[in-house]
Amino acid sequence: MILTRGGASRVAFDPGAPASLVEAPIIALSNIVKSYMMGGVEVLATRSVSLTVVRGEFVAVMGASGSGKSTLMNIIGCLDIPTSGHYSLDGVNIRNLDDQALSRIRNTKIGFVFQGFNLIPRMSALQNVELPMAYAGVKPKERRERAIVALRLVGLGSRLEHFSNELSGGQQQRVSIARAISTNPALILADEPTGNLDSRSSNELMALFTDLHRHGRTIVMITHENDIAEYASRVVELRDGSVIRDQRQRPRLPSVSSNTVTSSQDGDGSEV
Amino acid sequence: MSNMFSNLIMAVRGIGSNWLRTLLTMLGVLIGVASVIVLLAIGTGTSRSIENSIQALGSNTLTVFGSGGSGASTGTQIRNTNLNSASVSLISNANNAPDVQSVSPVITTSVTATNGSSTYTTSVIGSTPSYLVASNYTVSAGRSISTADVTSHSQVIDIGASVASGLFPVGSNPLGQQIELGSARFTIVGLLASKGSTGLTNADAVVIAPYTAVQDQLTGESQSFSELLIQGKSAATLSLAQSEVQSILAAQNDTTVAALPFNVLNQASLITTATSSSKTFTALLGWVAAVSLLVGAIGVMNIMLVTVTERTREIGIRKAIGARKSVVLTQFLIESTVISFMGGVLGAVAGIVVSRFTIAGVKPVLASYSIPLALGVALSVGIVAGFYPAYRAASLRPIDALRYE
Repeated sequence: MILTRGGASRVAFDPGAPASLVEAPIIALSNIVKSYMMGGVEVLATRSVSLTVVRGEFVAVMGASGSGKSTLMNIIGCLDIPTSGHYSLDGVNIRNLDDQALSRIRNTKIGFVFQGFNLIPRMSALQNVELPMAYAGVKPKERRERAIVALRLVGLGSRLEHFSNELSGGQQQRVSIARAISTNPALILADEPTGNLDSRSSNELMALFTDLHRHGRTIVMITHENDIAEYASRVVELRDGSVIRDQRQRPRLPSVSSNTVTSSQDGDGSEV
Repeated sequence: MSNMFSNLIMAVRGIGSNWLRTLLTMLGVLIGVASVIVLLAIGTGTSRSIENSIQALGSNTLTVFGSGGSGASTGTQIRNTNLNSASVSLISNANNAPDVQSVSPVITTSVTATNGSSTYTTSVIGSTPSYLVASNYTVSAGRSISTADVTSHSQVIDIGASVASGLFPVGSNPLGQQIELGSARFTIVGLLASKGSTGLTNADAVVIAPYTAVQDQLTGESQSFSELLIQGKSAATLSLAQSEVQSILAAQNDTTVAALPFNVLNQASLITTATSSSKTFTALLGWVAAVSLLVGAIGVMNIMLVTVTERTREIGIRKAIGARKSVVLTQFLIESTVISFMGGVLGAVAGIVVSRFTIAGVKPVLASYSIPLALGVALSVGIVAGFYPAYRAASLRPIDALRYE
């Protein structure tokens, strides 16, 4: 019911507004080039990509495989360093940072949601969500409380002590979203989050992303599926390492509400 | 601190995910640690038994062996260099030899003892009562031969446990009975407590009699003794006692200490020699055990490398969500340390249990230092063997690790 009550209109949607002037951007990529040496030949994964994402945007980065979107995601996620170009994340210049500093940036500024869920086996949902906060040095009591809040938010309040192999794919992905938001990062970076999910779980997950977006989260989502990209407020398409399309759009309304997400946790039939 | 604790829990859980493999890895360390403890215990047990054998010769004693004739071998004009009663009284004089506790003249011979139809071949020691004290014989029943017996040439004897059981049926009391030594009859006045067999010689196959009676009945009258058993006042002053005795004997025979034709067996130096050789032996055993511990360490390292490879993806996730290098390093170091330390503890238990049994005729004696040593080594094995794999894990680039299938 929340969604049909004009929820979409609450989302800032004004393609004409120069968003970057309103507030310092979360992501500012300019002329990003990434090249690899492959068998002695230099391969350009991205060629001069510039992209600005402001707070509150939900950006879908699209492209076929080999388009450079994974490279871009690694650079945005501070997992990789561009060969040339300038990147600042939430006002921090990422160039010239050592391994240690990059770890800290990833830990505090980015919440990762991976295609393969990437939860740590032999750890409960709660422990998985607590982990980034543990690395950030949050006290055990506080991180436990925050992890519980995050898991309740994604509708897994009753699955705190379950191990990842006891959870369905959709549930695992929701744990990883809880893990991503628990540190209250500037950016949620999702790499093909629905790639391993069936359509029903995908829809539920996108309802969750829509919800997060409405609460003002900045989300960058890599995907190659058009219907998943429709949930975003902006679509950036890459081909051969260059941006070929960058347009804002009215996000698609989820077919299920996030209430359904909360209540359907037992009926989630997705297989991995 | 709580972080350390949760790391430990994580490590144990990680280890628990593949019990069989972990147990086999632990087994390597376990065997290494157990063999260090057991082999050191065998080494210690061996040197302890050698020491006991030497102790059985007496406490703090010097044995002076007579030459039985002239010192012709030296080429000097020394005649009649004997150990005689004069030597005994000179050495007994506390002014001459302040570090000597007692001097016992010794005449040794071997006879066949007969009691009715039972016979037993035994050595007979003709001496004085101080001999029993110096050579650690105790009388378990009856009495020791006395000074009065020596003066009166009494044909009385104390017999060792083997002689008693060889000549008398079980349950009978040999005290007060007479037996024949050669052709002479001697009365048993005391039974000696068993000293046990010490190596090749049986210290219980012995008859102790007044030397006067032995001279009368068995060896014939002689001015000289085959040896003197001298007890020093303490182990520390035994060397002093030795030089005192040598000076006295040299003066008595108008010669120099260097030219004395007597051999002096110093029990303290015998123990020192035996101890140093058994220490070498123990060290050798320790090295053998250390090699098996090294093999165990290689096992730990191997399995940690496998673990790191298997968990590359997990490492990638951890690094992606913000684990610093040092955190990953610590995590894997803790794992390897927990594995090898648990192996070490189990190995120590196994080593202690095995050391309770007699191995190859040696009763192992647990060396007090071996357990902390073995555990310390096990702990450092975990850290050293775990370091390279942990470092490799910590150095993985998250982007590569995440892509790893």
